[in-house]
Amino acid sequence: MKEQQNKEQPNYKDAFEELQAIIAEIEGGAIGVDQLSEKVKRAALLISICRDKLTTTEGDVNRILKELEATDALPEEDD
Amino acid sequence: MTTSIQKTLAERYTTAFWVKAEMNRLNPHPPSGHCYPELVEKRDGRIIAEINANLWKDDYQRINRRFLQVLKEPLKNGITILLLGKIAYDPLYGLRLRIIDIDPAYSLGELEREKLETIDRLKKEGIYAANRSLTMPLLPKRIAIISVETSKGYSDFIQTLAGNDWGYQFFHMLFPAILQGERSPASIIRQLRRIRTVLTHFDAVAIIRGGGGEVGLTCYNDYSLTREIALFPVPVITGIGHSTNETVSEMVAFRNAITPTDLADYLLQCFHNYAVPLQKASEQLTDWALRIMRDEKTILLHAGRYFRSATGHLLTKRQHEMDRSIRTLRQETTGQVRSKRQELDWARQKFTDRLASFFQNGRRELVYMERTTALLDPQKVLQRGYSITQHAGRLVSGVADLKEGDMVTTTLADGTITSIINQIDKGDGV
Repeated sequence: MKEQQNKEQPNYKDAFEELQAIIAEIEGGAIGVDQLSEKVKRAALLISICRDKLTTTEGDVNRILKELEATDALPEEDD
Repeated sequence: MTTSIQKTLAERYTTAFWVKAEMNRLNPHPPSGHCYPELVEKRDGRIIAEINANLWKDDYQRINRRFLQVLKEPLKNGITILLLGKIAYDPLYGLRLRIIDIDPAYSLGELEREKLETIDRLKKEGIYAANRSLTMPLLPKRIAIISVETSKGYSDFIQTLAGNDWGYQFFHMLFPAILQGERSPASIIRQLRRIRTVLTHFDAVAIIRGGGGEVGLTCYNDYSLTREIALFPVPVITGIGHSTNETVSEMVAFRNAITPTDLADYLLQCFHNYAVPLQKASEQLTDWALRIMRDEKTILLHAGRYFRSATGHLLTKRQHEMDRSIRTLRQETTGQVRSKRQELDWARQKFTDRLASFFQNGRRELVYMERTTALLDPQKVLQRGYSITQHAGRLVSGVADLKEGDMVTTTLADGTITSIINQIDKGDGV
């Protein structure tokens, strides 16, 4: 979840939104040559972050199982 | 006595009759193929009547076939039925109701009513749309799957996810449950509750069934199950795999797909929705950067060219202006000098003229003065008859300084006389 994301790297949602904002800015012609290189660099970084999110796995079965053990040990609730 | 009961009942209940009951337990007896159902009548949840029945193999098979056809459910426990029965008493087996037929349409109506009741109840409690109003994460990457490991639906689902052509990576974990029949609601609820305890690891829960045919889906209308799904804190998506009417579980789920494969496609679509703008952004970015650089370069080039031509032009213009100024200056100064010189010449001429006349006047005055002076020469005055009288070496100009008896000297033009004053008369002058 969001809270657990690495703070130094924007999470994929923020990265995606920031990227869209930069695109809109460039599209609107609001960026001058001075900022352009900065923005392009930033956008490229955001794209690579977002791409990584698509193709990397998050989650660890072993850790989840360990956490579940504690729960499963409890007596089962009546439905 | 038993024979008497048998006879009495046979006389009293000559024909079969339709009666409504609830199938408390079907009690099938697999070796024989017969069933021995336990029928009850309930009021406010409590059993108020109960009777044991016989359902012979052939009747059972026929009825069950029609149930599967009409209800998509087999004849099972807990179902409300309208049956055609005949009372029989057997001295050995006691009083029994022989079931000849069951009307599946009635049971279907009952199931439909129960389903509507569940929907109504969820709506009244305000939780019907709870799960659907959640927000699916932009990338639903971590999926808790409630399914059966060996089921076709499960393998379809994970294969579709894993075998995608775009390299999208999902994390999924199976929470095994029974997905069909009466025991499934409790089983699914149990797994949903387990998932709740490790919820931070998951973006969504997928309930996957498939390969089980179109029967045994009534359990997905179960109130407790639908409530659990509706109130689940992350999106619950369903791929239960059937083409008949949606069950309530599917209605309250965040997203429902007809098959597990469709559900996996939905998740892939979520990834596409993220990836496509990303790809586009990446292409556009390069495009824009290049275009902007090119445009700036052109502008710069033009500016340089313009600057060069403009400055050249300006320089020439200024040079011309300067030349003209110099020329004008020269002309102007020459004229000025000439005119000043003329003025000077003129002034000098005037001065010379003035000087000449000045001297002339002077000379004239001098002559005049000479003449006047000559008139005033004492010698000349003396010659004209005037004399000068002196007393004691001083000129006498009046009688006041003199007294009788004084000796005065009188100078004339040709000599002097010394005389003694006889008399002095004071006159009024000449």
